[in-house]
Amino acid sequence: MAYILLRDLDIPDIGKLDVYTTNGGWEGFKKAVTQHTPEEVINIVIDSNLRGRGGAGFSAGRKWSFIPKNEPVKYVVVNADESEPGTFKDRQIMEKNPYQLIEGAMICAYAIQATAVYIYCRGEFWDLAHNLEACIAEAREQNLIGQNILGGNWSCDMFVHLGAGAYICGEESALLNSLQGFLGQPRVRPPFPAQKGGGLYYEPTVVNNVETLANVPWILVNGAAEYKKIGTPESPGPKIFSVSGHVARPGNYEVPLGTTFRELLFDKAGGTGTNKAFKALLPSGASGPVIPVTEQMLDTPMTYEALGKLGSTLGSASFILMDESTDMVWAAYKMIKFFKHESCGKCTPCREGTHWLAKLMEHVIHGEATMLDLEKLENVAKQMNGKSLCALNDFAINPILATLKHFRSEYVAYIKTPAPAAKPKQPAPVKKQLEEVAEPAGD
Amino acid sequence: MVTIYIDGVGYEVPAGTNLVDVAKFYADNDIPVFCYHPKMAPVGMCRMCLVEMGSVEKDKESGTVLLDEQGSPKIRWMPKMQTACTQTVYDGLAIRTNTQQVTEAREDIVEFLLTSHPLDCPICDKGGECPLQNLTMRHGPGVSVFYFEDKMHLAKHVPLGELIYLDRERCIQCARCIRFSDELAGDDVLAFHERGRALQIVTVSDPPFDSKFSGNTTDICPVGALTTADFRFGARPWELKEVPSIDPYGPEGANISLSTRLDRDSGGGIIIKRVMPRQNEHVNEIWISDKTRFGHHHTRHIDRLVTPLHREKNTLIETTWDKAFKQIIDKLKGATSVGAIAGPGLSNEDLWELRQLVLAVGGSEKSLGIWPATMSGGEVVKQVGIAKGSNFNTMGKGTVIVLVATDLEEEAPIWWLRAKAARDRGATVVVLNGRPTKMDRYAKFSLRHEYGDAVGAINSLTAHIVNGNHHKADRAEGFAELQKALKKVKADDRYAAAAEAIAGADNVVVFCGAEGVTLAQHAELMQACANVLILTGHVGRTNNGLIPVWPGANTQGAIDLGYTAEATAELLQNPPAVLIVAGCNPVGEDIAAANLRNADFVIVTSQFDTATTAIADVVLPQQSFAEREGTFTSGERRVQRFYAAQGVIGESFPDWKIFAQVRHAIDKSTAKVSAGAVMAEITKSVAAYSAMGYKNLAQVERQFPDVGGTDQYYGGTAYQNTGGIGVQWPVSAENAEAKLNVVPVSSEKSKAKGLLVVPTTLLYDRGMLFVRSEIMSLRIPPAHANFSPADAQKLKLQDGDMVEINLEGASLTVQIIVNETIPAGVITLPKCLSDQPGPFAPMVAGSIEKVAQALAATGD
Ligand SMILES: Cc1cc2nc3c(=O)[nH]c(=O)nc-3n(C[C@H](O)[C@H](O)[C@H](O)COP(=O)(O)O)c2cc1C
Ligand code: SF4
Ligand code: SF4
Ligand code: FES
Repeated sequence: MAYILLRDLDIPDIGKLDVYTTNGGWEGFKKAVTQHTPEEVINIVIDSNLRGRGGAGFSAGRKWSFIPKNEPVKYVVVNADESEPGTFKDRQIMEKNPYQLIEGAMICAYAIQATAVYIYCRGEFWDLAHNLEACIAEAREQNLIGQNILGGNWSCDMFVHLGAGAYICGEESALLNSLQGFLGQPRVRPPFPAQKGGGLYYEPTVVNNVETLANVPWILVNGAAEYKKIGTPESPGPKIFSVSGHVARPGNYEVPLGTTFRELLFDKAGGTGTNKAFKALLPSGASGPVIPVTEQMLDTPMTYEALGKLGSTLGSASFILMDESTDMVWAAYKMIKFFKHESCGKCTPCREGTHWLAKLMEHVIHGEATMLDLEKLENVAKQMNGKSLCALNDFAINPILATLKHFRSEYVAYIKTPAPAAKPKQPAPVKKQLEEVAEPAGD
Repeated sequence: MVTIYIDGVGYEVPAGTNLVDVAKFYADNDIPVFCYHPKMAPVGMCRMCLVEMGSVEKDKESGTVLLDEQGSPKIRWMPKMQTACTQTVYDGLAIRTNTQQVTEAREDIVEFLLTSHPLDCPICDKGGECPLQNLTMRHGPGVSVFYFEDKMHLAKHVPLGELIYLDRERCIQCARCIRFSDELAGDDVLAFHERGRALQIVTVSDPPFDSKFSGNTTDICPVGALTTADFRFGARPWELKEVPSIDPYGPEGANISLSTRLDRDSGGGIIIKRVMPRQNEHVNEIWISDKTRFGHHHTRHIDRLVTPLHREKNTLIETTWDKAFKQIIDKLKGATSVGAIAGPGLSNEDLWELRQLVLAVGGSEKSLGIWPATMSGGEVVKQVGIAKGSNFNTMGKGTVIVLVATDLEEEAPIWWLRAKAARDRGATVVVLNGRPTKMDRYAKFSLRHEYGDAVGAINSLTAHIVNGNHHKADRAEGFAELQKALKKVKADDRYAAAAEAIAGADNVVVFCGAEGVTLAQHAELMQACANVLILTGHVGRTNNGLIPVWPGANTQGAIDLGYTAEATAELLQNPPAVLIVAGCNPVGEDIAAANLRNADFVIVTSQFDTATTAIADVVLPQQSFAEREGTFTSGERRVQRFYAAQGVIGESFPDWKIFAQVRHAIDKSTAKVSAGAVMAEITKSVAAYSAMGYKNLAQVERQFPDVGGTDQYYGGTAYQNTGGIGVQWPVSAENAEAKLNVVPVSSEKSKAKGLLVVPTTLLYDRGMLFVRSEIMSLRIPPAHANFSPADAQKLKLQDGDMVEINLEGASLTVQIIVNETIPAGVITLPKCLSDQPGPFAPMVAGSIEKVAQALAATGD
């Protein structure tokens, strides 16, 4: 089957406007603008059940439908911050097939009657951003963007903005703050971006991931029903999996949702490529819980729901594979250090908790920890859980809790100091016991 | 009102209010907060206020609340805890604050905060009144399993400018300081730098922390991270006795608390260690300006006059009170004419006794002058002053706030702050002045007029209102005449939209200053403002009326007791035989006061040697506001008490006592023994003050939000109001029957040709009291004048050049600043920045000569 998203694999020059156009490019957009009302476009996308590819998997069409109709100023913001460790799918779309993103974004803009589209790229994507700007300029010349698009009454321009290198700026409300020139910290919600007061410059705004929007032109051309034939009913459509780590052929793979792990990891990515077996998989970069690779797991279809049942999330589908030589404690340490570094610092639990977890993991890695510290790790993670403004806080505890759950013995192997000898049992008040626990913190 | 449920109990609370505020006020339920502050928009950062939250289930059709088996409302709880501070109450909102989940969450957050906190409470200024301490005591886990050696160590003495120090270890990243500066003060001066655990407060302005309100951040900082250079390591809060007082500088009447203790700095006497805000939601809420906070050092300055002085062989030498009194009494008894000029910091009691003395020795009200003598219009205020009970807290959408001829932030910072907050809540701001000021950033209408034409500008508004038939003349006495006069006014089109906004507003408040206006013009300007207010019906109702931006803390009181600027003008022209100058320095400030030397005998009460004491025959040491009791009347006509806080310096006396004793010696009247007794007499003699007995003035009320209460964690360290919230006197417009005078006022501009020097007012000047607070000296600019680029070019002057400006015989040396905001043909000259007196009224400059090159021009 021909590619829907990674079309550059079929048509190498699709990044050129004429090549894109002669290969069916802009048909979806033209169809939307000339044959459909904005509401109809929204309904088609709702019907397709296209789910957000940025991580949360929320219905794209429903998100668009939340935008109030009678507001004069509305925006579309493309989330091209792509900073989840191990994710590199949006990059390939923007690098090789930029017009498909631009077209998808313009269809969204038409559907909500937006006045402008902003593409927020992570800072490291500067060359890519320049290319996007050139592409936008060309499309503007052809009246696909700008004033009185395609001769109609609707006008909408498109701009590219570069971030300054912060993971948190991928979170949509922090992204909006950053785009407005403020510190990249998430906002209190409600109001949500789609509501007045919550979006870019406090106007109603749709924030969608690059890959999400790249699906839209195909849906417009082929219809929702055709789209739903791909993938599973709850998780329809194609999905790009960014596969990296201990695999023979790392890279982006576009497969229908619902494909099994086995197919992706062995048929496509070629297994580990060594005589070692897979040990564990991080299905959504650093932010989702790690899953041990088992035979049973390999036969599971990859959908939003199935990953949930495996105790993890599909997230942005950045698959980091680890073979049996991997030290899971070390891996968890790397990840908590990442979150500590990337916490924006706004919320107490996340700011202090990631700092504390990283410190504890440092003790573990250096062989200075006791069994009590493993409990402490779990307790601090629980202390953080669910108490912060954005999801980074909850992402941050995943590497610790999941590795402790599945690979506890590896932690135990790091413990050199025996646990403090149990004190002779005596009926002590609860408070007293707590103080004893606290002893190591003393001096 | 809506019903909300807190821990199973229903409460009726006002709709649209903040959950944390109402839980505290109506249910006595203290939801702990760090980042939330009742005066600022919530940000949900610290996560201390997590509670279980849900909504009652209602029958879809009837809307009645569904009940469970026990008969309590059925509630659908949210799966995760929510921050209470970000929640606005709605009907059916339910929270649980006493469950194990909530208790644990509070413990968790406190423990997290403490992991990075240095716990140096024993040497921390905030210790004893610290929200983090208090909430740790109440909600902390008691023990921590954090490794002590893992604590971060950060810089502990980071100056954010010369007034405020940051301790980076103590900061809990609540952003209150940033949000206050950004959102309330409108000063982009603080920001977060870095992220995560490295998140830190930095100042981003040059000069650093460039805000007139910086001290307030130390109050609302929930830990000891921000401290003032003034108080740092100065005392422990529990040693301090709080004495209620009133700001001695501004017309806003900011309520303050003087923190005092016995101190070695005074050889064991009681002194002020710091000045803190005292909550008064009608006046200053919980804010004070840095001038109020740091400007108290004159009260025990080494230069304070400690004995009476009298002139012998042309020099002032020390004398005794007895001798000084004798001299004064002799002179007054035989005086052919007597006059008095009263300073802006005299209390009502001082003013009353001075008045009684002057009247007793043959003077009249015509010989009672106020200082500074820049503003007029006391009669207008009596009619249409802002109505009693008005409160900026309740202004927002529907209110129009008009600023006329004033740089409000410089002249009355607290009004500026409150007016801006009203604007942020939706009020419309109209600015009329000859140049842009900070308020123009927030104004919907920024209207420039030529200096000298302020009256014309207001007449344009009036003409638009009347021509557009937006007026209501039912209460206006003299309307026919005004209408006739308005026919001759050419209404400037630029004013049409603002006139419409004013006419159509629910409420209108006008601040009237005197920038670029002569005293004679000012009387007309005040009447012009009154015309607008009366004709649009914006008088006599709450949140409507005129606020004069008086130059001093008690100018309103002086006017109420019969003093006028017109009398001062007359005294400056024709000095009386015996002149009493109480608590001010006309000779050192205003070139128009040079003539006072010609009085035969000059009596001056003062705290310091000044150019005015230099011409005195007798100088009497006056007490500062901190050493005595008294009352000030604010520009909103609120009479408020201040209390004796500090030990008396030297042999100084309060002015009222001095004048009462002199009068007693002359007319055998009973000399009052207390300020309260003086006020008792005022209540009997001055109708407006009949309710101003000290007991009434000391009344307090419960305030919302309740900031300074017993648990000092909620709104910071503003103090509870125990000294009284004061009493306002009503204006005649509040009597619905009363007719109000509208009067045609002339829009004629002065014809004089040349560069117009416009004196302006700066908050930080070299006034004789303020300049004594050396901590503020870096904030007082050098003597300077602002030139428009066009005029500078014409005169071949450069930014930084020193020039000599000649003005009606006086000459003034200042540095020039080439300033794009200044209109061509105008030089603005801030008052009181040097030891040379300057102009207090606009006047045309004589010659302007360059006396020194700017440094930059010499090639440095
Ligand atoms: C800490 C954090 C980082 C995120 N980073 C990204 C990102 O790099 N790219 C992205 O598309 N979405 C990211 N998201 C998700 C966005 O907040 C948001 O859900 C998404 O842009 C919505 O688009 P979609 O509905 O098309 O998926 C992140 C979320 C969090 C909490
Ligand atoms: S959870 Fe962490 S990253 Fe998210 S807003 Fe709070 S501090 Fe910032
Ligand atoms: S300095 Fe104080 S007010 Fe400012 S963020 Fe830190 S703790 Fe909050
Ligand atoms: S999050 Fe509510 S008080 Fe800080």
